[in-house]
Amino acid sequence: MHIPENYLSPSTCAVMTAAAVPVWVHSVKKIKEVLPKEKIAMIGVGAAFSFLGMMFNVPLVGGTTGHAVGGTLIALLFGPEAACLGVSIALLLQAVLFGDGGILAFGANCFNMAFVLPFVGYGVYSLIMKGASAGSKPGRAYLAAAVGSYVGICCAALCCAIEFGIQPMLFHDAAGNALYCPYDLSIAIPAMMIPHMAVAGVVEAAFTVAIYAFVRKTAPDMTYEAIRGQLPVREEGRKGHFPVYALVAVLIAAVPLGLLATGTAWGEWGADEIAEIAETGSPLGYTPQGMADGFSLDVLMPDYTFGEMSEVAAYILSAVIGAALLIIIFKLISIPLKGKNVANAS
Amino acid sequence: MLPDWMTKTEEYVPPHDGGAFYYKTLKRLGGVLSRLKAESGREGKRSLPAWLKLVVLLLYVLFLSLSRDRLITMGFVASGLLVLAMMPPKDIWSVLKPGFFAAGLSAVLFLPKVIMDPGSFMNSLTVVVKVLMSVIAVGIFNRRTQWNHVTGALRKFHVPGVVIFMIDITFRFIVLLGNLMTEMLTALQLRSVGRNRRKYDSVGGIMGTVFVRGAEMNREMYEAMQCRGFTDDYRGL
Repeated sequence: MHIPENYLSPSTCAVMTAAAVPVWVHSVKKIKEVLPKEKIAMIGVGAAFSFLGMMFNVPLVGGTTGHAVGGTLIALLFGPEAACLGVSIALLLQAVLFGDGGILAFGANCFNMAFVLPFVGYGVYSLIMKGASAGSKPGRAYLAAAVGSYVGICCAALCCAIEFGIQPMLFHDAAGNALYCPYDLSIAIPAMMIPHMAVAGVVEAAFTVAIYAFVRKTAPDMTYEAIRGQLPVREEGRKGHFPVYALVAVLIAAVPLGLLATGTAWGEWGADEIAEIAETGSPLGYTPQGMADGFSLDVLMPDYTFGEMSEVAAYILSAVIGAALLIIIFKLISIPLKGKNVANAS
Repeated sequence: MLPDWMTKTEEYVPPHDGGAFYYKTLKRLGGVLSRLKAESGREGKRSLPAWLKLVVLLLYVLFLSLSRDRLITMGFVASGLLVLAMMPPKDIWSVLKPGFFAAGLSAVLFLPKVIMDPGSFMNSLTVVVKVLMSVIAVGIFNRRTQWNHVTGALRKFHVPGVVIFMIDITFRFIVLLGNLMTEMLTALQLRSVGRNRRKYDSVGGIMGTVFVRGAEMNREMYEAMQCRGFTDDYRGL
């Protein structure tokens, strides 16, 4: 779902970034109000889950690949605002270090995956949980998490498809050839939505519920409900977060499974591939001009690998670097923020 | 009857004293030195022995700078970041600050090369990353090791006692000497009213005094340590 460079026109990118800015501002303000300082530092762990989740590519129908995003998961752990910042910074690292998602399209990617996904996902979750008493059986919470994350990722995919689909209508040259993304709404929406509703959404739901259940059992103070005082936390639950870090390590070790799915995600082809893609029955036959001579940036580890290096090792190292950087960044972010005074909290 | 000169209003404005360059430079130097406090590291309960950490640090820096394979470089980066990520936020920042400074400096040094030959961007970036990670590694070691354990570790590697003594004393005195230099310069500046044409004559004087005072303090401290039973042996510390 990472929109690459030059698939959206620069003006679309500007509009999407402008739409994302107020969300970021709101998120930072809200986080300062709601979360205590040490929880702000822990958002990095949630962001690491999301980063790793995005590395597990699963094959989708039609020869493309997709992945979980984990935005709803962070929302369940630290609130939707924290999820917005967590996913945004994970996306930034992916764009800058690994070339996954464009720099210009960063605002659009954030709008889809860091705004729409966690807020919709958490909204659906809280709708289902409405009226549930604190301390009731966790089964309902898990079901709500599954439905929320499924709806969340599908909405994000829909936004992404619409952004792709309006490109050929708005931007084309005199011959009718698209300048940027060449597929209109009638192709983009089914191409994005069917695989996401059939496979990626299910994967996202499974990923969210599995990790949410694990965290709820091993570190119950790390859930958003506990932070807001809705879930009683026994004292021993506050100790270390060793199991959570262990889970991060296990996910890192398992990351090469994501390499099993070969093929490029829909709408993430390189400028050299796109002319041969036969999405409409016959190959497109041309490389859209905006892609052929658009903006591009050399990154340290394009596609999480470097050249002919061992793919598995490079993929694991990318996972380690990404997860470690996210934890470091959020620990640094927590220094100047005062956070909510714990003494006043529940 | 007051003399004439006492009744007059004095309107003395000291002439502008140019050439403050060397004062500023020396003062700046003194200020930087006095901030070089050997920051005390904290060790966790299950910390590795200091000598092992020292070996790991030396090997890390050595192999990081020798590695030419990008995958291996990335392995070093990943392991360094992993250790850093486990530290508390304040420590992370104090480790990163000098790292960014060093990396920024090397980036500036590489800038002309990259401008002349844009193809070398990736190589230059690799070097900058290596500098960053080396400084971070040293920072982590500093933060995570008590100073007296470091000297103990050096002794374990059969570094002569006198060398360790010199390192130890240097780290402690560099702050004092920096302070001394700043104080002397301030005193000199306050006393030289008006235009001082012989400013540069005092440079040697200040540096010489700092040196003499340093040697004196060193001797005094060594004698004091001997009086308390110090036998040039760091093993017991």
